[in-house]
Amino acid sequence: MKLRHPRTGALYTTRDDGSVEVEDRLGRRGVFHHDGAWLRGELREADPHLLGFIAGPSIARRGQSEPATSAADRPRGVSVPDLTANSHSSTGEGSNTEMDLGLNGRKALVTAATRGIGLAIAQSLADQGCDVALCARGAEGLETTQKDLEARGANVFTQVVDVADGDRLKHFVSEAAEHLGGLDIFVSNASAGGGPGESAWQPSFDVDVMGAVRGIGAATPRLAASDAGAIVLISSTAALEYLGIPQAYNSMKAALISHASDMSQALAPQGIRVNVVSPGPIYFEGGNWEMIKQAMPAMYEGALAQCAIGRMGTPEEVARAVVFLASPAASLITGANLVVDGGFTKRAAF
Amino acid sequence: MSIEPPLPSPSGQGPRSSGISYQKLLDSDTRPVPEVLRLESARELPIVRVPLARYTSTEFHDLEVEKVWKKAWQFACREEEIPQAGDHSLYEIAEMQVLIVRGEDRAIRAFPNTCLHRGRALKERDGRSEDLRCPFHGWTWNLDGSLKEVPCRWDFPHVERDEYSLPEFRTGTWGGFVFINLDPECESFESYIGELPDHFQRWPLEDRYKEAHVARRLRCNWKVAQEAFMEAYHVVATHPQILAGIGDSNSQYDAWDNFSRAITANMTPSPHIDYVPDEQEMLQSIVTTSLDAEPFFRVPENMTARQLMAQMARMQLQAAAPSVTSLTDAELNDSFYYTLFPNFHPWGAYNRITYRFRPYGNDPHCSIMEVIYLSPFRGRRPPPCDVHWLDFDEPWTEAPELGPLCKVFAQDTFNLPKVQRGLKSAQHSHATFANYQETKIRHFHTLLEKYIAA
Repeated sequence: MKLRHPRTGALYTTRDDGSVEVEDRLGRRGVFHHDGAWLRGELREADPHLLGFIAGPSIARRGQSEPATSAADRPRGVSVPDLTANSHSSTGEGSNTEMDLGLNGRKALVTAATRGIGLAIAQSLADQGCDVALCARGAEGLETTQKDLEARGANVFTQVVDVADGDRLKHFVSEAAEHLGGLDIFVSNASAGGGPGESAWQPSFDVDVMGAVRGIGAATPRLAASDAGAIVLISSTAALEYLGIPQAYNSMKAALISHASDMSQALAPQGIRVNVVSPGPIYFEGGNWEMIKQAMPAMYEGALAQCAIGRMGTPEEVARAVVFLASPAASLITGANLVVDGGFTKRAAF
Repeated sequence: MSIEPPLPSPSGQGPRSSGISYQKLLDSDTRPVPEVLRLESARELPIVRVPLARYTSTEFHDLEVEKVWKKAWQFACREEEIPQAGDHSLYEIAEMQVLIVRGEDRAIRAFPNTCLHRGRALKERDGRSEDLRCPFHGWTWNLDGSLKEVPCRWDFPHVERDEYSLPEFRTGTWGGFVFINLDPECESFESYIGELPDHFQRWPLEDRYKEAHVARRLRCNWKVAQEAFMEAYHVVATHPQILAGIGDSNSQYDAWDNFSRAITANMTPSPHIDYVPDEQEMLQSIVTTSLDAEPFFRVPENMTARQLMAQMARMQLQAAAPSVTSLTDAELNDSFYYTLFPNFHPWGAYNRITYRFRPYGNDPHCSIMEVIYLSPFRGRRPPPCDVHWLDFDEPWTEAPELGPLCKVFAQDTFNLPKVQRGLKSAQHSHATFANYQETKIRHFHTLLEKYIAA
């Protein structure tokens, strides 16, 4: 490590043997122990506080590694072909009839749907003719989203709900079904987000896992009454492959995949399908990746290099996968985990 | 030995740093600034010098025991540490032990940790039990302190049950902290803490849980230790690596009746450096980065380092503290370090830190420093962590739960045994304090003087 003393201008450089070489403004050099003791050289004194800071004992290792190295230091993966340039998209070309998803007039509920992926899902559902109930923690975002969805022709029901509050969530699900006149689709999208440390586990559990578990519980009687009941849980590729930071988020997202599989079996007799969508890095304005791109460019570049298609995803691309799985068009699909990541994950998904 | 009084100050007012004032800095916040940050309270504090013997003499320590530790309200434990009936926490000050007990009626009571039979300590550690039973002969008290059982009751015809309840100390709670006072004649806890709860209205510490608690033994007087954490004057010499991004000598200091406050801004350059660092350099000084390494954080064009760090903090805190979007850049960047006399130091906003400093037994040359991190949570309260003890020579870096701050604590405590060493060689008589930047220390000694003289 190399630091310049902001007051004296001396340059402090750690050496392989744990000592520190100091060079002052006059070019005099000395080598010091981290406790301030002079070892050799012309320069006989240095700041013990700075010596201790850069060469003193380092912080003991613990289970959770600091995010400081990880993604930024990882070697770049296989070079990324620009697949966006020679479009192999199957939409349009050669197809004669548009596939009908069968969503018109369906009633859908999406948690945390005022921004990012949740918002895109609500919008896509509305575009397909669904009425939509949504919740979020902020009233302001709900109001804006409600107007947006109504402009797309949907009946909209909103409520301020903290998904971690189980009673409020259950109450919201029944009120939403009441208001929309039934429920065909439940999308559990709310997440407490990522974060290191023990304190991240409980919120992650309460929001990501219990939000889905309780939401499914409350929605099940309504979905069972539908002729096309469907549940989609939003997980993450962080559940599938190591992202460089061990965190609650990754494990809780993994729990969702197991639970969806269980529920797909348990609810099949009631005609309810349960699937998961696991997005990779999704970039949108105001999203975490935008902040990371600005503030931690090396980490952003590292993640980008892992995206085989040469770019990160958009919320709309995730939403299309969710909308498909939620639609009657996916009538044979249940218990699936659809990875939507542009080749970000590398394993063969058998 | 006679106890020498401290020397008076000519005036409580005086010159300030030429750097940007904290109030001026607040004007540039991206959020509305709450009133508590706009408060300023300079006080006339008579003391600028105190006799060095206050840090070294056994006589003065004994006086502190009699006049301070037996008289002043002090933080004993967290409420979350004794949630259920029968939970008890053992608080130790000097060589006295106080048992804090949660009763069947949910009330918190405090008793001397002493059996009324022949004086054995009732409990040796924190724990949970149905009653308070002395392990020696089995005398037993109910959780409310009433006498429950005396083995061979027939042999104690002279023991009246009513006269053998455990003597009860007064208790008070604020912010999830339990306070005790060993003086039955003391003023009420509410009057003692005064307006302190108003200051923390936006940062309710009762809604936090104890995520980390590290107690380290130090080879210095407890006041030497705590005074190192009551000013930013030491930053220029002790933490040179952060000078580009800390408003040290232009910190704001305020005093009220029994508590004081310092505010030190981050992501603003120190008036001590003779150039203007850019936003990136300010940021890098705080998350100290090697000159030859690629910086992990980069300040975007359209943002200041202060705005960026606030935005990052909002992102990190949003899961546990939904109200975080309305918090000012100031509350997410700066250090608000309060001191409630005599030894309790809760930090404002979301810094998570609370310090406590205590004498180590009756040795005036040693002390115990505790760092407690109180973190917000959502949903069910996570259980409080246990105390992680570090011995005299174990470095802070052995407590990784404290995060990168370990290295900063190491710089602070590096000085402390050397202060104690220096004090023992002194030929001069008094320690001398800065008029403004050491306001909190002068406020402390003004109160200490009041207690000692009482």
